Amino acid sequence: MNKIRKTNLFIIGGLLSIGVVLMAADHIDAPAVVGTTADITDLYAFEGADPDNTVFVANVQGLLAPGSSATFDENVLVEINIDNDGDLVEDLVIQAIPRGGIMYFFGPYEPSQTGLNSVIDEDTQYLGQVAISSGSSATTSEANGISYFAGLREDPFFFDSSQFNAIVGGMAPGGFNNPGNDDFDGTNVLSIVIEVPNSLLGGTFSHPAGTGVEVFNTWAEAKRKQ
Amino acid sequence: MTDSMKLINLKNISAALVIVIGFASCSSDDDAIAIDPPVVVDFSGTFSQEDQMGRPGINTVFSATPDIENSFNVTIPSEQGAAFQSLFETQLAGLHGAFGVSYENNILGLDITTLTTVLASDVLQVAPGVPTTYFDGTNVLTGRTLTDDVIDVSLILLFGGQNGDRFNGQDLDGDGTPDLPILVTDGVSGAGETPSSTFPYLEAPHSS
Repeated sequence: MNKIRKTNLFIIGGLLSIGVVLMAADHIDAPAVVGTTADITDLYAFEGADPDNTVFVANVQGLLAPGSSATFDENVLVEINIDNDGDLVEDLVIQAIPRGGIMYFFGPYEPSQTGLNSVIDEDTQYLGQVAISSGSSATTSEANGISYFAGLREDPFFFDSSQFNAIVGGMAPGGFNNPGNDDFDGTNVLSIVIEVPNSLLGGTFSHPAGTGVEVFNTWAEAKRKQ
Repeated sequence: MTDSMKLINLKNISAALVIVIGFASCSSDDDAIAIDPPVVVDFSGTFSQEDQMGRPGINTVFSATPDIENSFNVTIPSEQGAAFQSLFETQLAGLHGAFGVSYENNILGLDITTLTTVLASDVLQVAPGVPTTYFDGTNVLTGRTLTDDVIDVSLILLFGGQNGDRFNGQDLDGDGTPDLPILVTDGVSGAGETPSSTFPYLEAPHSS
Protein backbone atom coordinates (compact mmCIF):
# COMPACT_ATOMS: atom_id res chain seq x y z
CA MET A 1 0.00 0.00 0.00
CA ASN A 2 2.71 2.40 1.00
CA LYS A 3 4.79 1.32 -1.93
CA ILE A 4 1.94 2.05 -4.28
CA ARG A 5 1.50 5.47 -2.75
CA LYS A 6 5.17 6.15 -3.12
CA THR A 7 5.07 5.15 -6.76
CA ASN A 8 2.11 7.38 -7.27
CA LEU A 9 3.91 10.26 -5.67
CA PHE A 10 6.82 9.72 -8.01
CA ILE A 11 4.38 9.87 -10.89
CA ILE A 12 3.02 13.13 -9.59
CA GLY A 13 6.55 14.36 -9.22
CA GLY A 14 7.29 13.33 -12.75
CA LEU A 15 4.22 15.11 -14.01
CA LEU A 16 5.19 18.34 -12.40
CA SER A 17 8.83 18.37 -11.54
CA ILE A 18 10.29 19.84 -14.69
CA GLY A 19 11.12 23.22 -13.28
CA VAL A 20 7.59 23.83 -12.15
CA VAL A 21 7.10 25.73 -8.95
CA LEU A 22 3.46 25.41 -8.20
CA MET A 23 0.78 27.76 -7.23
CA ALA A 24 2.51 30.70 -5.68
CA ALA A 25 -0.28 32.97 -6.79
CA ASP A 26 1.59 34.29 -9.75
CA HIS A 27 4.71 34.60 -7.63
CA ILE A 28 7.47 32.64 -9.27
CA ASP A 29 5.21 31.51 -12.06
CA ALA A 30 7.05 31.03 -15.32
CA PRO A 31 10.74 30.83 -16.18
CA ALA A 32 10.63 33.64 -18.73
CA VAL A 33 9.46 36.24 -16.20
CA VAL A 34 10.57 34.90 -12.80
CA GLY A 35 12.81 37.36 -11.06
CA THR A 36 12.39 39.96 -13.78
CA THR A 37 10.94 43.44 -13.40
CA ALA A 38 7.92 42.31 -15.44
CA ASP A 39 6.89 39.54 -13.02
CA ILE A 40 3.36 40.16 -11.78
CA THR A 41 2.98 38.47 -8.40
CA ASP A 42 -0.65 39.22 -7.60
CA LEU A 43 -3.78 41.02 -8.66
CA TYR A 44 -6.47 42.09 -6.20
CA ALA A 45 -9.75 43.86 -6.99
CA PHE A 46 -12.18 44.76 -4.22
CA GLU A 47 -14.81 47.18 -3.03
CA GLY A 48 -13.26 50.34 -1.64
CA ALA A 49 -13.85 52.00 1.71
CA ASP A 50 -16.30 54.05 -0.36
CA PRO A 51 -18.57 51.30 -1.74
CA ASP A 52 -19.05 53.31 -4.93
CA ASN A 53 -15.38 52.66 -5.76
CA THR A 54 -13.39 49.62 -6.82
CA VAL A 55 -9.75 49.18 -5.74
CA PHE A 56 -7.22 47.51 -8.04
CA VAL A 57 -3.90 46.28 -6.65
CA ALA A 58 -1.21 44.99 -9.01
CA ASN A 59 1.96 43.72 -7.37
CA VAL A 60 5.27 43.04 -9.13
CA GLN A 61 8.69 41.71 -8.15
CA GLY A 62 7.78 39.59 -5.13
CA LEU A 63 9.77 38.00 -2.30
CA LEU A 64 11.77 41.18 -1.67
CA ALA A 65 13.80 41.04 1.51
CA PRO A 66 13.47 44.00 3.89
CA GLY A 67 15.93 46.66 2.80
CA SER A 68 15.81 45.57 -0.83
CA SER A 69 16.52 48.42 -3.23
CA ALA A 70 14.23 47.01 -5.93
CA THR A 71 12.51 49.65 -8.04
CA PHE A 72 9.87 49.77 -10.73
CA ASP A 73 11.31 49.42 -14.26
CA GLU A 74 10.78 52.43 -16.56
CA ASN A 75 10.55 50.02 -19.49
CA VAL A 76 7.69 48.02 -18.00
CA LEU A 77 4.09 49.15 -18.41
CA VAL A 78 1.64 47.65 -15.92
CA GLU A 79 -1.82 47.51 -17.42
CA ILE A 80 -5.12 46.74 -15.71
CA ASN A 81 -7.54 45.39 -18.31
CA ILE A 82 -11.32 45.57 -17.94
CA ASP A 83 -13.80 43.57 -20.03
CA ASN A 84 -17.33 44.98 -19.79
CA ASP A 85 -19.20 42.47 -22.00
CA GLY A 86 -17.69 39.09 -21.14
CA ASP A 87 -15.90 38.45 -24.44
CA LEU A 88 -12.54 38.35 -22.65
CA VAL A 89 -11.26 41.30 -24.71
CA GLU A 90 -10.39 44.51 -22.88
CA ASP A 91 -12.83 47.39 -23.32
CA LEU A 92 -10.99 49.69 -20.93
CA VAL A 93 -7.41 49.88 -19.68
CA ILE A 94 -5.70 51.62 -16.78
CA GLN A 95 -1.97 52.00 -17.42
CA ALA A 96 0.85 52.76 -14.99
CA ILE A 97 4.48 53.44 -15.82
CA PRO A 98 7.28 55.08 -13.79
CA ARG A 99 9.42 58.03 -14.87
CA GLY A 100 11.99 59.65 -12.60
CA GLY A 101 10.57 58.47 -9.30
CA ILE A 102 6.98 59.27 -10.25
CA MET A 103 4.34 56.73 -11.30
CA TYR A 104 2.16 58.08 -14.13
CA PHE A 105 -1.36 56.78 -14.67
CA PHE A 106 -3.57 56.83 -17.77
CA GLY A 107 -7.23 55.85 -17.80
CA PRO A 108 -9.55 54.15 -17.50
CA TYR A 109 -9.91 54.63 -21.24
CA GLU A 110 -10.78 52.68 -24.36
CA PRO A 111 -7.48 51.59 -25.95
CA SER A 112 -6.85 52.11 -29.64
CA GLN A 113 -5.72 48.50 -29.90
CA THR A 114 -6.27 45.36 -27.82
CA GLY A 115 -4.13 42.32 -27.24
CA LEU A 116 -0.44 41.66 -26.73
CA ASN A 117 0.82 45.11 -27.71
CA SER A 118 -0.12 48.43 -26.15
CA VAL A 119 0.60 52.09 -26.65
CA ILE A 120 -0.04 54.92 -24.18
CA ASP A 121 -2.55 57.64 -25.03
CA GLU A 122 -1.09 60.68 -23.27
CA ASP A 123 -4.12 62.78 -24.17
CA THR A 124 -6.72 60.58 -22.58
CA GLN A 125 -9.21 62.17 -20.16
CA TYR A 126 -8.14 60.68 -16.85
CA LEU A 127 -4.50 61.33 -15.97
CA GLY A 128 -2.79 60.98 -12.63
CA GLN A 129 0.61 60.77 -11.03
CA VAL A 130 2.08 60.06 -7.63
CA ALA A 131 5.57 60.09 -6.14
CA ILE A 132 6.74 56.50 -5.62
CA SER A 133 6.93 55.59 -1.92
CA SER A 134 9.90 53.67 -0.62
CA GLY A 135 9.45 53.88 3.14
CA SER A 136 6.76 53.18 5.68
CA SER A 137 4.72 56.29 4.93
CA ALA A 138 2.52 56.08 1.85
CA THR A 139 2.45 59.06 -0.51
CA THR A 140 -0.89 59.17 -2.29
CA SER A 141 -2.60 61.52 -4.72
CA GLU A 142 -6.05 62.01 -6.16
CA ALA A 143 -7.49 63.37 -9.41
CA ASN A 144 -10.99 63.12 -10.86
CA GLY A 145 -12.05 61.04 -7.85
CA ILE A 146 -9.34 58.45 -8.61
CA SER A 147 -6.76 57.70 -5.89
CA TYR A 148 -3.20 56.67 -6.70
CA PHE A 149 -0.37 54.90 -4.88
CA ALA A 150 2.84 53.23 -6.02
CA GLY A 151 5.68 51.88 -3.92
CA LEU A 152 7.10 49.31 -1.59
CA ARG A 153 4.58 47.50 0.66
CA GLU A 154 4.34 44.40 2.78
CA ASP A 155 3.31 41.48 0.56
CA PRO A 156 -0.20 40.47 1.69
CA PHE A 157 0.05 37.07 0.01
CA PHE A 158 0.28 34.01 2.29
CA PHE A 159 1.04 30.43 1.30
CA ASP A 160 3.12 27.43 2.32
CA SER A 161 4.64 27.17 -1.13
CA SER A 162 7.66 25.11 -0.07
CA GLN A 163 5.39 22.38 1.34
CA PHE A 164 3.39 22.42 -1.87
CA ASN A 165 6.60 21.93 -3.81
CA ALA A 166 7.51 19.06 -1.48
CA ILE A 167 4.13 17.45 -2.14
CA VAL A 168 4.37 17.58 -5.90
CA GLY A 169 8.00 16.52 -5.69
CA GLY A 170 6.95 13.31 -3.96
CA MET A 171 8.60 14.33 -0.70
CA ALA A 172 5.50 14.86 1.46
CA PRO A 173 3.10 11.91 1.26
CA GLY A 174 0.91 13.39 4.00
CA GLY A 175 0.29 16.57 2.10
CA PHE A 176 0.24 19.92 3.87
CA ASN A 177 1.06 20.49 7.53
CA ASN A 178 -1.21 21.92 10.20
CA PRO A 179 -0.18 24.58 10.83
CA GLY A 180 1.76 25.32 7.69
CA ASN A 181 4.48 27.89 7.22
CA ASP A 182 3.85 31.17 5.40
CA ASP A 183 6.79 31.49 3.03
CA PHE A 184 5.82 35.08 2.25
CA ASP A 185 5.92 36.21 5.86
CA GLY A 186 8.40 39.05 6.27
CA THR A 187 8.69 39.84 2.55
CA ASN A 188 7.87 42.97 0.59
CA VAL A 189 6.58 43.67 -2.89
CA LEU A 190 6.29 46.61 -5.27
CA SER A 191 2.67 47.63 -5.32
CA ILE A 192 0.46 49.78 -7.54
CA VAL A 193 -2.91 50.71 -6.02
CA ILE A 194 -5.67 52.57 -7.86
CA GLU A 195 -9.12 53.29 -6.44
CA VAL A 196 -11.61 54.19 -9.17
CA PRO A 197 -15.26 55.31 -9.03
CA ASN A 198 -17.42 52.51 -10.44
CA SER A 199 -19.03 55.10 -12.71
CA LEU A 200 -15.77 55.22 -14.69
CA LEU A 201 -15.44 51.44 -15.08
CA GLY A 202 -18.04 50.75 -17.76
CA GLY A 203 -20.78 48.14 -17.94
CA THR A 204 -21.32 44.71 -16.43
CA PHE A 205 -22.67 41.32 -17.49
CA SER A 206 -24.09 38.31 -15.69
CA HIS A 207 -21.47 36.25 -13.81
CA PRO A 208 -20.23 33.34 -15.98
CA ALA A 209 -20.56 30.98 -12.99
CA GLY A 210 -24.31 31.55 -13.14
CA THR A 211 -24.65 33.27 -9.78
CA GLY A 212 -26.76 36.06 -11.25
CA VAL A 213 -24.41 38.74 -9.94
CA GLU A 214 -23.40 41.50 -12.37
CA VAL A 215 -19.66 41.60 -12.97
CA PHE A 216 -16.87 42.80 -15.21
CA ASN A 217 -13.70 40.82 -15.92
CA THR A 218 -10.30 42.17 -15.02
CA TRP A 219 -6.70 41.03 -15.42
CA ALA A 220 -3.25 42.54 -15.18
CA GLU A 221 -0.51 42.55 -17.78
CA ALA A 222 3.14 43.55 -17.66
CA LYS A 223 4.36 44.84 -21.01
CA ARG A 224 7.93 45.76 -21.91
CA LYS A 225 8.89 48.60 -24.21
CA GLN A 226 10.15 47.32 -27.54
CA MET B 1 5.50 124.33 -14.39
CA THR B 2 2.06 124.78 -15.90
CA ASP B 3 -0.93 122.73 -15.09
CA SER B 4 -0.80 121.20 -18.53
CA MET B 5 2.83 120.25 -18.02
CA LYS B 6 1.90 118.56 -14.73
CA LEU B 7 -0.73 116.60 -16.56
CA ILE B 8 1.75 115.53 -19.21
CA ASN B 9 4.21 114.49 -16.52
CA LEU B 10 1.56 112.50 -14.73
CA LYS B 11 0.70 110.83 -18.01
CA ASN B 12 4.37 110.00 -18.49
CA ILE B 13 4.60 108.64 -15.00
CA SER B 14 1.56 106.48 -15.64
CA ALA B 15 3.09 105.29 -18.88
CA ALA B 16 6.34 104.60 -17.11
CA LEU B 17 4.53 102.66 -14.38
CA VAL B 18 2.72 100.60 -16.97
CA ILE B 19 6.01 99.80 -18.64
CA VAL B 20 7.65 98.90 -15.33
CA ILE B 21 4.74 96.71 -14.29
CA GLY B 22 4.83 95.11 -17.68
CA PHE B 23 8.50 94.31 -17.31
CA ALA B 24 7.87 93.03 -13.84
CA SER B 25 5.23 90.70 -15.19
CA CYS B 26 7.52 89.44 -17.91
CA SER B 27 10.26 89.00 -15.38
CA SER B 28 7.92 87.10 -13.13
CA ASP B 29 6.98 84.79 -15.99
CA ASP B 30 10.63 84.21 -16.75
CA ASP B 31 11.23 83.29 -13.14
CA ALA B 32 8.33 80.87 -13.17
CA ILE B 33 9.73 79.16 -16.24
CA ALA B 34 13.18 79.02 -14.74
CA ILE B 35 11.92 77.53 -11.47
CA ASP B 36 9.53 75.04 -13.00
CA PRO B 37 10.53 74.17 -16.55
CA PRO B 38 8.06 72.15 -18.59
CA VAL B 39 8.73 68.47 -17.89
CA VAL B 40 9.07 66.45 -21.06
CA VAL B 41 8.29 62.87 -20.19
CA ASP B 42 8.44 60.31 -22.95
CA PHE B 43 5.67 57.72 -23.03
CA SER B 44 6.12 56.80 -26.69
CA GLY B 45 6.62 53.35 -28.11
CA THR B 46 4.99 49.97 -28.21
CA PHE B 47 4.81 47.82 -25.09
CA SER B 48 4.68 44.05 -25.59
CA GLN B 49 3.24 41.53 -23.14
CA GLU B 50 5.52 39.43 -20.93
CA ASP B 51 3.25 38.44 -18.05
CA GLN B 52 -0.48 38.14 -17.49
CA MET B 53 -2.61 37.30 -14.47
CA GLY B 54 -6.25 37.22 -13.46
CA ARG B 55 -6.79 34.65 -10.73
CA PRO B 56 -4.03 33.53 -8.40
CA GLY B 57 -2.22 30.29 -9.12
CA ILE B 58 -3.82 29.30 -12.39
CA ASN B 59 -0.74 29.22 -14.55
CA THR B 60 1.49 27.73 -11.92
CA VAL B 61 -0.83 24.92 -10.88
CA PHE B 62 -2.03 23.88 -14.31
CA SER B 63 0.87 24.39 -16.66
CA ALA B 64 2.83 21.15 -16.67
CA THR B 65 6.00 22.44 -18.28
CA PRO B 66 7.97 25.69 -18.38
CA ASP B 67 7.12 26.05 -22.06
CA ILE B 68 3.40 25.92 -21.30
CA GLU B 69 3.82 28.44 -18.49
CA ASN B 70 5.68 30.86 -20.71
CA SER B 71 3.19 30.42 -23.51
CA PHE B 72 0.23 30.99 -21.15
CA ASN B 73 1.62 34.34 -20.06
CA VAL B 74 1.73 35.65 -23.61
CA THR B 75 -1.66 34.35 -24.67
CA ILE B 76 -4.55 36.80 -24.47
CA PRO B 77 -7.51 35.67 -22.32
CA SER B 78 -9.88 35.28 -25.27
CA GLU B 79 -7.55 32.63 -26.72
CA GLN B 80 -6.54 30.88 -23.50
CA GLY B 81 -9.54 28.54 -23.33
CA ALA B 82 -8.97 27.01 -26.75
CA ALA B 83 -5.23 26.77 -26.21
CA PHE B 84 -5.06 25.46 -22.65
CA GLN B 85 -8.33 23.88 -21.42
CA SER B 86 -7.52 20.35 -22.55
CA LEU B 87 -3.97 20.59 -21.19
CA PHE B 88 -5.33 21.79 -17.85
CA GLU B 89 -7.89 18.96 -17.73
CA THR B 90 -5.15 16.41 -18.40
CA GLN B 91 -3.06 17.94 -15.65
CA LEU B 92 -5.86 17.92 -13.07
CA ALA B 93 -6.80 14.34 -13.95
CA GLY B 94 -3.15 13.37 -13.62
CA LEU B 95 -2.90 14.94 -10.18
CA HIS B 96 -5.78 12.76 -9.03
CA GLY B 97 -4.59 9.66 -10.87
CA ALA B 98 -1.28 9.88 -9.06
CA PHE B 99 -3.19 9.14 -5.86
CA GLY B 100 -5.21 6.36 -7.44
CA VAL B 101 -8.47 8.29 -7.64
CA SER B 102 -10.42 10.26 -10.22
CA TYR B 103 -11.57 13.86 -10.01
CA GLU B 104 -14.91 14.23 -8.20
CA ASN B 105 -17.32 17.05 -9.05
CA ASN B 106 -16.56 19.91 -6.67
CA ILE B 107 -18.63 21.91 -4.19
CA LEU B 108 -19.90 24.07 -7.04
CA GLY B 109 -21.03 20.93 -8.87
CA LEU B 110 -18.52 21.54 -11.65
CA ASP B 111 -17.20 18.54 -13.55
CA ILE B 112 -13.57 18.47 -14.57
CA THR B 113 -14.15 19.84 -18.06
CA THR B 114 -16.34 22.69 -16.86
CA LEU B 115 -13.96 23.59 -14.04
CA THR B 116 -10.90 23.66 -16.26
CA THR B 117 -12.85 25.60 -18.89
CA VAL B 118 -13.71 28.25 -16.32
CA LEU B 119 -10.16 28.40 -14.97
CA ALA B 120 -8.35 28.35 -18.32
CA SER B 121 -9.56 31.88 -19.08
CA ASP B 122 -7.40 33.63 -16.53
CA VAL B 123 -9.48 36.64 -15.60
CA LEU B 124 -10.94 37.78 -12.28
CA GLN B 125 -14.63 38.58 -12.05
CA VAL B 126 -15.43 41.72 -10.06
CA ALA B 127 -18.92 42.71 -8.91
CA PRO B 128 -19.02 46.48 -8.41
CA GLY B 129 -21.22 47.58 -5.54
CA VAL B 130 -21.26 44.09 -4.01
CA PRO B 131 -19.16 42.96 -1.02
CA THR B 132 -15.98 41.35 -2.28
CA THR B 133 -14.99 37.75 -1.68
CA TYR B 134 -13.06 35.13 -3.61
CA PHE B 135 -15.37 32.56 -2.03
CA ASP B 136 -16.98 32.71 1.39
CA GLY B 137 -19.16 29.62 1.23
CA THR B 138 -22.07 31.52 -0.27
CA ASN B 139 -20.79 34.22 -2.56
CA VAL B 140 -18.53 33.15 -5.39
CA LEU B 141 -15.85 35.21 -7.10
CA THR B 142 -17.00 38.78 -6.70
CA GLY B 143 -13.37 39.88 -6.66
CA ARG B 144 -10.39 39.29 -4.41
CA THR B 145 -9.65 41.05 -1.14
CA LEU B 146 -6.21 41.38 0.45
CA THR B 147 -7.09 38.72 3.04
CA ASP B 148 -9.05 36.17 1.00
CA ASP B 149 -7.51 32.72 1.42
CA VAL B 150 -7.29 32.13 -2.31
CA ILE B 151 -4.97 29.15 -1.93
CA ASP B 152 -7.39 27.18 0.26
CA VAL B 153 -10.31 28.12 -1.99
CA SER B 154 -8.39 26.95 -5.05
CA LEU B 155 -7.34 23.71 -3.35
CA ILE B 156 -10.92 22.99 -2.26
CA LEU B 157 -12.26 23.60 -5.76
CA LEU B 158 -9.58 21.38 -7.31
CA PHE B 159 -9.34 18.53 -4.80
CA GLY B 160 -12.20 18.89 -2.30
CA GLY B 161 -14.84 16.95 -4.22
CA GLN B 162 -18.52 17.52 -3.63
CA ASN B 163 -18.13 18.17 0.11
CA GLY B 164 -14.93 20.18 -0.10
CA ASP B 165 -13.00 17.91 2.27
CA ARG B 166 -12.06 14.98 0.10
CA PHE B 167 -8.26 15.23 0.36
CA ASN B 168 -8.13 15.99 4.06
CA GLY B 169 -5.98 13.23 5.45
CA GLN B 170 -8.89 10.89 6.27
CA ASP B 171 -8.24 7.30 7.31
CA LEU B 172 -11.44 5.68 6.07
CA ASP B 173 -10.15 2.10 6.09
CA GLY B 174 -8.83 2.41 9.63
CA ASP B 175 -5.33 1.14 8.85
CA GLY B 176 -3.70 3.99 10.72
CA THR B 177 -2.53 5.64 7.53
CA PRO B 178 -4.38 8.48 5.82
CA ASP B 179 -6.06 7.32 2.66
CA LEU B 180 -5.36 10.56 0.92
CA PRO B 181 -2.97 13.40 1.78
CA ILE B 182 -4.07 16.82 3.01
CA LEU B 183 -4.53 18.87 -0.14
CA VAL B 184 -7.53 21.06 0.68
CA THR B 185 -5.71 23.51 2.96
CA ASP B 186 -2.10 24.61 3.21
CA GLY B 187 -2.52 25.28 6.93
CA VAL B 188 -1.74 28.98 6.53
CA SER B 189 -4.41 31.57 7.21
CA GLY B 190 -4.46 35.29 6.59
CA ALA B 191 -4.56 36.03 10.32
CA GLY B 192 -1.15 37.67 10.15
CA GLU B 193 -2.26 40.11 7.48
CA THR B 194 -3.69 43.34 8.81
CA PRO B 195 -4.36 45.67 5.90
CA SER B 196 -5.63 49.17 6.53
CA SER B 197 -9.28 50.07 6.01
CA THR B 198 -8.24 53.17 4.10
CA PHE B 199 -6.30 53.87 0.91
CA PRO B 200 -3.80 52.50 -0.07
CA TYR B 201 -4.87 49.58 2.15
CA LEU B 202 -1.62 47.58 1.99
CA GLU B 203 0.61 47.52 5.06
CA ALA B 204 3.87 49.42 5.32
CA PRO B 205 6.86 47.41 4.15
CA HIS B 206 8.97 45.38 6.54
CA SER B 207 12.05 47.38 7.41
CA SER B 208 15.51 45.94 7.59
